[in-house]
Amino acid sequence: MKKKLIWAAEHALLVVVSFMIIFPIFWMFLTSLKRPIDAYSITFNFQPTFENFITVFRDPWNLGSMVLNSALVAGITVMIAVPCSSLAAYSFSRFRVKGRKILFFLVLSTQFIPAVVIVLPFFLMFRSLGLLDTRIALIIVNLAIVTPFVIWMIKGFIDALPVDSEEAAMIDGASRLRVIRDIVLPMATPGILTSSIFCFILTWNEFLFSLILTRRNAVTLPVGLVNFRTERGDLWELMSAAGVLITVPIFLMAILIQKHFTRGMTAGAIK
Amino acid sequence: MTEVQLVDVEKRYGSFVALQKQSLTIQQGEFLVLLGPSGCGKTTTMRMIAGLEEVTSGKILIANELVNDKPPKDRDIAMVFQNYGLYPHMSVAQNIEYPLKLRGMDKATRNKRVLEIAIKVELESLLKRRPSQLSGGQRQRVALARAIVRTPKIFLMDEPLSNLDAKLRVTMRAELKHLHHELGVTTVYVTHDQMEAMTLASRIAVMREGRIVQLDTPKNIYSKPDNLFVAGFIGSPSMNLIEGDVRSGFFRATAVKIPVQFQDATSVVLGVRPEDLKIVSKNSAPITASVYAIELTGESTLVTMKHEATSICVRESADYEARINDVCHIAARTTGKLHLFDKSTGQRISTCSVKPTKC
Repeated sequence: MKKKLIWAAEHALLVVVSFMIIFPIFWMFLTSLKRPIDAYSITFNFQPTFENFITVFRDPWNLGSMVLNSALVAGITVMIAVPCSSLAAYSFSRFRVKGRKILFFLVLSTQFIPAVVIVLPFFLMFRSLGLLDTRIALIIVNLAIVTPFVIWMIKGFIDALPVDSEEAAMIDGASRLRVIRDIVLPMATPGILTSSIFCFILTWNEFLFSLILTRRNAVTLPVGLVNFRTERGDLWELMSAAGVLITVPIFLMAILIQKHFTRGMTAGAIK
Repeated sequence: MTEVQLVDVEKRYGSFVALQKQSLTIQQGEFLVLLGPSGCGKTTTMRMIAGLEEVTSGKILIANELVNDKPPKDRDIAMVFQNYGLYPHMSVAQNIEYPLKLRGMDKATRNKRVLEIAIKVELESLLKRRPSQLSGGQRQRVALARAIVRTPKIFLMDEPLSNLDAKLRVTMRAELKHLHHELGVTTVYVTHDQMEAMTLASRIAVMREGRIVQLDTPKNIYSKPDNLFVAGFIGSPSMNLIEGDVRSGFFRATAVKIPVQFQDATSVVLGVRPEDLKIVSKNSAPITASVYAIELTGESTLVTMKHEATSICVRESADYEARINDVCHIAARTTGKLHLFDKSTGQRISTCSVKPTKC
């Protein structure tokens, strides 16, 4: 009896929490399918339409270029950050260099600084460099934000790998780089994939720097959402459609991560 | 087939000395076992030979060539790790093949060689499996196969049998010994198991606190231990060590009076192995004590006897019978098996003979 009560309470709580988290997202999906007249009505009884998803790609919204900006910025950031961070993480994990701990702390400490504090210096720097409103500027800024985080994450995965296999490979005749290629990378793949996806999500969702550093050409999706607040009021149905477009890739990746994350936790050592 | 020389090799981690200036020559084709309790520097020594650990000072020579600054891959060695160090993402065949692949051998020759070795270690039916799908013994054989797939200058083995169950360990021990006989490659083997050391070694280096305390053949290590540490470490049950004095031709301790041919000395330790003692009926026997415990091991009976603080173990035949608290008399079984050690330095000062049973 008591067990049943606890079971019921637990599940009730789960339902409540899940509802609180899922409902806004669900409502966004719903609104994205509504016509402007239905957007403000709290009803499930409406004529669904995909019109909004087409409208957002048309003038004056031009979401297409923002999707491209976001994809390029996030994609290139991941492609630079992950290989560099993997090597850095390996070094932090394996080489007993003097000052290693301090260095690692310094790298991580960049994460303690609130973005708002450094956004202005970045703005001034990019203005002098003539890089305002460019994707390159966004990629540079995102690399600065994401790299320490990815180093820290991948280091965790590499720390968990047994050193034995690497030493065995070195004795079998492999150079250090060969060891990384043949042994470490294949074993750390789940971890590196997970980190890549986290890195992509962070960059994809980044708002503040994109807001300050871009104006027209390099605007990314999260900033683009602001455009739907017009003199005519907030265009909820269009904003929701754009919101869905931002969410879906992240949603798919989250599902991917989930699979790899559990693998990352269970793979590794053979004893 | 190669000689390995360690000349004044020292290893420090900060202020901690893992290996104090030691010199050691491992002869060509020899099976040298580094034996000692954990933390004695045996694994460090081996890892320095492998190049996985840098030497703080001193020289390491493999085949008369200085290898101090050579990375492991250029030392032409093969190693079997305690946890095997297999590549979990590769199949058994790929694991064994990897050293050959790194040496640029062509695919066909590689496959042929892998199969040959797999048959030798009876893995041919498991070549497609991943290491995680294998039992401990099978993983051990993969690690071994990977080491012997090419002919290195030296084999290094770091407690390769310690993760196996007792029965498998004995089987694998014999296989290793046979393999060494067959290949004749200079082998360095690290273990804390004295039984492994005794059975496998051509020579044993007993280590303690970063020093080699005795380097000799298993036979000599067992029958003529250089010091109290080796005496107590080798042998199961270990050597009886009795503190006492030598006065006018007798070693004396509580309830012990044994004739020895040695000048008078105080603070000495008498060492004698359980199998070199026997229980006799004579009252005049040199040692008197009462039975404390009787353990049947199968092939013999171990009788532990106590008199006050002195505890003495005697190996008797399997059919020996006694009751606890029986008073027994003990005498030496053979001559030349009594060892006298200096209590303060721990060094052996004499191995002397006594005439059995007669006092």
